[in-house]
This record gives sequence, C-alpha cells and structure tokens, in this order.
Amino acid sequence: MLSLAKNAPQPDKDFASCSGCGLCLLVCPVWRRTHDLALTPLGRAKALQHGANAADIAVSVQSCTLCAACEPVCPEDIGLVEMTLDLRRRLPQPEGEQARMQEQTARPPAPQPAATAVLIPGTALRERPVTLARAQALLARTGKLALADDDGADIALALEAGMPVPKQRLERFLQPLRRARKIIVADGLLLRNARQWLPRAELVSLGVALSGLTTVRRALGASDLYVIEPRAYHADYQRLVKYYDGLRAASGCTFNLDLQRIAIPAAAPTLPQKFGLEAAAGGDDGVQARWILQGRNVTRIVLECMEDAAAFNSVSGLPVVHLADLADDGNRRNNDSRNDNQA
Amino acid sequence: MGTPVVQPGPLGSYAVEPGTVGPCHVAPDALQGIKRQQTNPARWNGPNWDEFSTAVRAHGIDLRETIAARAAFATDAGGTAHGLAHGVVIARSTEQVALLLRAAQEYRVPVTVCGGGLTTEGETVAFGGVLLDMTGMSRVLAIDANALTVRTEAGIFWHSLAEELRRQDLDYLSAPLNLTSSVGGTLGVGGIDVNSARLGCSADQALALQVVTPTGDIVECSDTHNAELFQRVILGYGQFGVITEATLRVRRYTPLRMHYFYYASLATAIEDLQLLDRNDASDYSGILTIMDCAVNVLVAFDSTEREAAFMANWRGRLRGYGELGFGLRMLAHYALRPWKLGEAWYLLQRKRELFPELRRPEYMRDGTMFDRSVVFSRAVWKFWGSRQMVIPDLATSAAKFVEAVERGNAVCRKYFPRYTLYLVGIKLRPEHLAHYEMSCIPPDAEGWAYGCEFEPMLDGRAYSRDYLQSFKNEIYDIGVDMGASYYRFGGMMKGYIRRVFGDAVVDRHLALKRAADPAMILNRHVIF
Ligand SMILES: Cc1cc2nc3c(=O)[nH]c(=O)nc-3n(C[C@H](O)[C@H](O)[C@H](O)COP(=O)(O)OP(=O)(O)OC[C@H]3O[C@@H](n4cnc5c(N)ncnc54)[C@H](O)[C@@H]3O)c2cc1C
Ligand code: SF4
Ligand code: SF4
Repeated sequence: MLSLAKNAPQPDKDFASCSGCGLCLLVCPVWRRTHDLALTPLGRAKALQHGANAADIAVSVQSCTLCAACEPVCPEDIGLVEMTLDLRRRLPQPEGEQARMQEQTARPPAPQPAATAVLIPGTALRERPVTLARAQALLARTGKLALADDDGADIALALEAGMPVPKQRLERFLQPLRRARKIIVADGLLLRNARQWLPRAELVSLGVALSGLTTVRRALGASDLYVIEPRAYHADYQRLVKYYDGLRAASGCTFNLDLQRIAIPAAAPTLPQKFGLEAAAGGDDGVQARWILQGRNVTRIVLECMEDAAAFNSVSGLPVVHLADLADDGNRRNNDSRNDNQA
Repeated sequence: MGTPVVQPGPLGSYAVEPGTVGPCHVAPDALQGIKRQQTNPARWNGPNWDEFSTAVRAHGIDLRETIAARAAFATDAGGTAHGLAHGVVIARSTEQVALLLRAAQEYRVPVTVCGGGLTTEGETVAFGGVLLDMTGMSRVLAIDANALTVRTEAGIFWHSLAEELRRQDLDYLSAPLNLTSSVGGTLGVGGIDVNSARLGCSADQALALQVVTPTGDIVECSDTHNAELFQRVILGYGQFGVITEATLRVRRYTPLRMHYFYYASLATAIEDLQLLDRNDASDYSGILTIMDCAVNVLVAFDSTEREAAFMANWRGRLRGYGELGFGLRMLAHYALRPWKLGEAWYLLQRKRELFPELRRPEYMRDGTMFDRSVVFSRAVWKFWGSRQMVIPDLATSAAKFVEAVERGNAVCRKYFPRYTLYLVGIKLRPEHLAHYEMSCIPPDAEGWAYGCEFEPMLDGRAYSRDYLQSFKNEIYDIGVDMGASYYRFGGMMKGYIRRVFGDAVVDRHLALKRAADPAMILNRHVIF
C-alpha cells in the first residue's frame, strides 16, 4: 500500500529508490545553471545505481548547494540532502575546517543567557549591526531575547562538507542554548540540525520569527518581493508552505516560489566556493536572482537572509532590505508593538 | 515489402539489421505468435567509435564516456529495458547537434535522442552509440503575448515552459501530466492532456519547428514550409530528425473550476465522457478509474460562464454521482457484500490518500485549482511512479473505444490486483491528417480519437520482466485485433508495426527514412 507520508524525506530511503522521474531537476538551481543531468540528484542516484562510487561523482556531489529544494518534490521521499552529505563524507575533506573548529572549541565557555529566547543571527547579519539591532528589538517585543555568543558558523560549514563535528565543539555551541525555550536561527542548515540536537526547544527560522510579527506583516505590501530562505523552508515544507500561503493572502506580496511552491534560491554557490577554494563568480552569476525577478512586477526586495543581498544587488537596481528593516516603515511601530505576537 | 537483412549478431545469434522491418510472421487472423522483438535489442558493438569520438571532439563537442555520465540514461521511465551508450552528449546548440549527426552519419554511429526519457518501451535507451540528451537545450527564446505563441528550445520540460509562461500570465495549451516530459519528445509522440478533447494533442500545437535532419542539415519547417519534413517529424517518433526548436501556440492562463463525478460502470462513464466531448460541454474532461466499480469522470472549466452553462445544460444528463451520493451507494453495495470488505477498505484508503493530494490548499484559491498540471502530475508520480512502470495504451476511434477499454480492463484484471485506467478524448484537426499518418492517431478516427492508458499499481511488488511484457503484449494484441493504434513504440512494439499500419504505409515510411537517414543512425530502436 502506498504510504501517505507527505513527502517527508526518509533517511532510510536512498539512491536505490530513485525512479528517475526528474522532478528534482525542475527545482534544482544547479540544474538551472548547467542543464547537466549528472549534477543533479537524479544523475547521482542513477550513477550509484549503476556502480559508480562517491569519487566517480565527486564534482556532482560538491556542486550541490544543499538548498533542499529537491526533497519536498521527490515522490519517493528520498532523503536527498542526507544522500549528498553521506557522499561528501566519503570524499577528501576540505582542509582547515577541523582547525577552525578546534579554535572555536578552545574559546572560554559562553555564559548561560538569562533570557528564554536566543537569536543565532549568523555572520552576514552580524556584519550589519544596525539591521541586527532592529531584528533584536523586534524579536524582544514578544519576550526577553538574548543574542547567542556563538554563531556556529564553523559547524555550519562542517555540516555542509559532511564533516564530523567534534563532540567538544558541538558541546561548546549547544551548552548555552540548553535552557532556552525558543531558539531563532538564521542559518537554515544549522536550524535543520539543531532540531535533532535540541529536541525540546522550539526552533524557528529568523524569517518565520520576524514575519510572524504584526509590525513586519503590516509593512509588507503587494509590490514587495519576499525572498524566503530556502533551507529552513524546505526542511519544514509541509508546515511552512501553508504558513507562507497565509502570509501571501494577508500581505499580497510575491514570493520567490515556483509553481510547485518551492523556494527558488537566490544564489547557488558550490561547496568549493563556500570554502573559498574556487572563485564565486561561476557559482553566483546572477542566474538565480534574475530568474526570481523575471516577469515580476515588484518595487522592493525583502530578504529573510542577509546573504541573498549580494545576488539581488548585482542584477537589479531595486531597493533590497532585510525583514528587520521593515520595522522602520511608517510610524506604526509603537501602536503595533502592543499587538505583536508570533503567528 | 522490404526484405530483412539478416546477419550474425554479437553472440553468434542472428539479429535483424537495424533499419529493417521484417515481414509479418503470422497469418493475418492470428494474434498469437507475433514475433516479439527483444526488449533489449542487440547492443551496437562500436565499430568506428574511436574515429568518431576523435572527430566530434575535434569539433569541440563534449562527449562523455564515464560511467557516471552514461548511467543516468541506462533506462527509461519503463525501467524494463536497460542499455548503456558508448558516450553521452548534452545538446547545447543546433549547430552542435548538426555536427554530431553529420559525424554519426559518416561513421555509422547510432544516435539515440532523449528528452524527458519518459518512454516505457526503451525508445530512449541507447544500446551503444551516442545518447543525445536534449534537456541541455531548454531556453525559452521568445514569447509573443499578442500573437499567443512561444518559440522555445525543444529540450525544455513542459513544466519549465509553464513556469516561464506564467510569469506573463500565459499557459501552454495541452501537455502530458507528468511535469518532466520535454517539448521535443512530446511533439514526436503525441501528448494528451485533460483538455485534449477540446484542444487536440500537444503535437497539434506546433506551428513551426527547427529540425536537424539525420544527415545534419538544419531545416526550418511548418505546414507551409518544408511541409513534408514537418509532417514526418510531428508524431514521427524521432525517426526523421532531431527537433531543436519549436514554435507553439499558447493561451492566456486561467485557473480551473473542477468537478468530479463517480460511476460504478466504466462503459456508462465513457458514454457520458463522449457526450460531453461531442457537445463541447466542458473545457477539460477525462476518466480515472480507481477500481472497476469506482470510476471518476473529471470535468473542469476555464470560466464561470462555461461552468454555469454546463450546470444548466449537461449536469442533469450525466449519470454519475457526486462524492456523497457515490459514497452512500458504495456503503450500501458493500453492506450487502461483506466478503468484499478488502475491496471497500482499498477504496477508502485510496480516497483518503489521493483526494487530499488533488485539493492541496496551496494550489487552490477561492475554490479554483491554480496549478492543475502541478497537482495532477505530482499525484501521478506519487501514486503511480516507481522504478518500473508499465503503461501500455490503446488509441481508437470513438466508436470502438468502449469495447477496447473493456477488453484492456479485463487483461489488467487478469494480471494485477490493482490498476488504474486513464482515458481522454483527442480532438483531431482535419488539416493535420498528414501529420497523423503512421502515428498514435488511429487511421479510422474521425472528429475525435480516444486514448486509454492501462496502468497497474506495482506497489513495490517484484514482477519479472517477462510477466510485465506479457501483460503489455496482451493489451497491444487488442489493438491489432481492433485496428487501433498506440502511443508507445519501440522495444517489443516494433514487431507490431506491419500488423497495425499495413505494408503499404510502413514501406513508404521506410523508404522515406532510408532516404533521410542513409546510415539508419537516428533512434534506430523505435520503429525502423
Ligand atoms: C508517469 C508518466 C505519466 C505520463 N503521462 C502522460 C500523459 O498524461 N499524457 C501523455 O501524452 N503522455 C504521458 N506519458 C508518456 C510520456 O509523457 C510521453 O511519452 C512524453 O510526451 C514523452 O516526452 P519525453 O520528453 O519524455 O520524450 P522522450 O521519452 O525523451 O522521447 C520520446 C521519443 O521521442 C524522441 N525524442 C525525444 N526528444 C526528441 C527531439 N527533441 N527530437 C526528436 N526526437 C526526440 C526519443 O528518441 C523517443 O523516441 C507519461 C509517461 C509517464 C512515465
Ligand atoms: S539540495 Fe538543492 S542544489 Fe542540491 S540537488 Fe537538491 S535542489 Fe539541487
Ligand atoms: S525526484 Fe527523487 S525519484 Fe525523482 S529523479 Fe529526483 S531523486 Fe529520483
């Protein structure tokens, strides 16, 4: 009997289950840029089904951006992100990453935050202190909020490479978070994993946390392009597809969603590019951002994820703002603060 | 009738030289004993491959010979035929395809063209030679929103085309319900949708094509320009050229107003479907069976006006029930037949699984279905897709359809515990008669042809290839017996060609093929 598991990726299902339907191609940013089947989940699965090993398909394995767009559309519910990570584990690991993690482990332990909610903003947002301060102020309206001392950026990179994270390093990262009831995470891949590490906490993406606030929702308009961070969205697709459909109905804004309601990533850097081993130009040539904008009549681009700003700035002259910056819109802030609660 | 050229095969057995359709081996009134071609034809064993590969690489063509590159194309959606190409080329431009075909012709290297690869008889599997992956040519070149046309590279998936058209509030006319069939592959075989009873098959949408002939010439063709090539390439199963670009008719996008009616009898449902089609009573129509006693007629509309006209004039004449009425009827039916509880449970499960999938809120707005192809296609893959898929089909005239479907249904019942039938009408365009010759459109159809796909639910059970093939052959035999046609050719189907179309037509097409493709290199396992 066919199961009705709603496209929830099943880790026990691997390349052997791939039927070759090709639905993953339709959403894969690597395929959009290259139109090379070998660089897609289908290509990897078929190669493995016919006797190839990880080394034979290394370029393909490293080209994946882990955006996870392919997972919700795979009718066989294959855990495609895990499949890629498993293959990465079998390849030579990028140099320098272990040292980076050791360096972080050696830092003195972070103090336990006094607040029950913690924000892990990620490197890109930290580099924009004004926007970060706005995000903090907004999120603090629903309760006391602490800023995490440790972004776990090295852990996120290691996860991306399929590298084991040393126990001590993980503990250094998780220890200050253990008492938090709610953790808001900007990095989608970190969020996906943190759900397993901290099963008792409520883990939400920064995008959902901010867009759930009335202040932010009210500032969104019909001529906005709202750019969803794909990794967090696809990791919790069944729930979030409804959430964002509600946001669309309420605000009228356009999303970076395709007809299957899959989030189109704004950039598609490969693993070597993320590790600085290859120039970024080949990976982020604006193809994705241009495709998101094509034929869409919008006047402003609103981002959940600060990393996406560069891609849009390189292909359009439209104002690009972070969700947190919307709080400055209009003078409703004081009135709205009374109403702010998470959707 | 052509004389078959027989020569020793690689294993010392005797294989028929590619490009030959042998005489029919059996008496005209016999169905048993039609010569079954191997599912995996003998592999081309590579004479001249080194010279060929050197030549194409000298032209800058990226010819990939690694296992990883070739394995992606080792089988098609059917999953019963397997073969490896010697090398794979991703189509990148018309000029590159032309260079490749010229070299293939010179060195007599077979070229198998693959679009979405959704064939089920091994048509897109390369048994040696080059696999040409057309999905590398997937750009939309120009959209004319006023003239309602699009010019696109032919490797594009219909779904990707729809994504681009929707940004301009446009949509394609009709396309297969699976998201990943390509424009070029579909124009070559047909393409039916739930609006084909009104708009015709996908191949009928093509206004003009750019084709690379098997000898490597680049030719633009249409009904008025190089018309003979156009007629042969459209619905030509990739025998007469590689479609590299296509100009298609498109339309304004509309969401859909859906209605489902339920029948306990397949014949009654088909009669009602044909009533709707004859009277242009709906914009979309089709039948999906859940079980023999639970048949779903789908009816849908592009506008409230059309929907209202249907409700006023035709709803009352349909003999199907609404969901509640049918549910109550089924309840009574099974209450009186408690020994059939297993069947009732299956029906209930199916309803619980499939129906929500067809009504997912993110694809619905204000009671209309916003993305019909997404909804239906995802359901098709989710509920019917697997590593093996057997989908034999029959296409007949309207008059023969009920009998053909009932006979095919009986074959399904014999072989599988659960199966689904998908039935639609295909409006024929009188001015396209020349396109239809030797195609899935049966020669005796007038006004509409009707197609039925017979799809067993394999449900992860292991069936031998022979078992699946026997099933398919029994369905195909019905077509021979009734003078029908088929959507799928290649593999075992090659043996049917003469019985289905007759010697005169086959020999004429064979002569055309020989003239167009002297080395018989292009898609040689499909028909010729
Ligand atoms: C799950 C499933 C659902 C389906 N649903 C439908 C449906 O609803 N309606 C329907 O009509 N069909 C349906 N089909 C059948 C399938 O969609 C059609 O066969 C499809 O149109 C083929 O498109 P493709 O791109 O996959 O072609 P391919 O399978 O790649 O090729 C088909 C043939 O054309 C040749 N070819 C491919 N590209 C070119 C080109 N550019 N130029 C010349 N020749 C070429 C190939 O060599 C092959 O012989 C379904 C199949 C599956 C597996
Ligand atoms: S995770 Fe993203 S980039 Fe990787 S295969 Fe899936 S869709 Fe493509
Ligand atoms: S969507 Fe899943 S089953 Fe389909 S080709 Fe991709 S990996 Fe394979």
